Amino acid sequence: MIYGKMWLHVKPSVGIPLFLGAVAVSSFAVHVALLTNTTWVKRFLNGSDAKKAALIEQAPVAAVPDPGATVLVAARPQTDR
Amino acid sequence: MSDPNRSDPNRVWPTGLTEPEAQELHRHLIQGTQIFGVIAAFAHLLAYIYSPWLK
Repeated sequence: MIYGKMWLHVKPSVGIPLFLGAVAVSSFAVHVALLTNTTWVKRFLNGSDAKKAALIEQAPVAAVPDPGATVLVAARPQTDR
Repeated sequence: MSDPNRSDPNRVWPTGLTEPEAQELHRHLIQGTQIFGVIAAFAHLLAYIYSPWLK
């Protein structure tokens, strides 16, 4: 296999971590660059806008209080009588 | 005491590996790279299909 003799001169305990580290660091850097330089990766990772809109639509307008719960109601003071 | 491997004429220094050992190591490294590449290609295909990438 071509370049196989490299390991006669490079210690595997140095060369293999170096190789795997280079792959990990470079691929991580590419993905960080995409995350910081585009808008759509962030939006995509947060979930689609359509799904979020559907969740807002499904949300209840007002919560129904539990039976027996204390409900405070503000009343306007009657000043004309 | 001298290392018996040191007198082996098939071993190459500084690593002390023989050529077949070096070739075997390299074969495994290439195979691992190929498997990683296939998984990465599949992940990029999924990203292409399910994200706004390149659209």
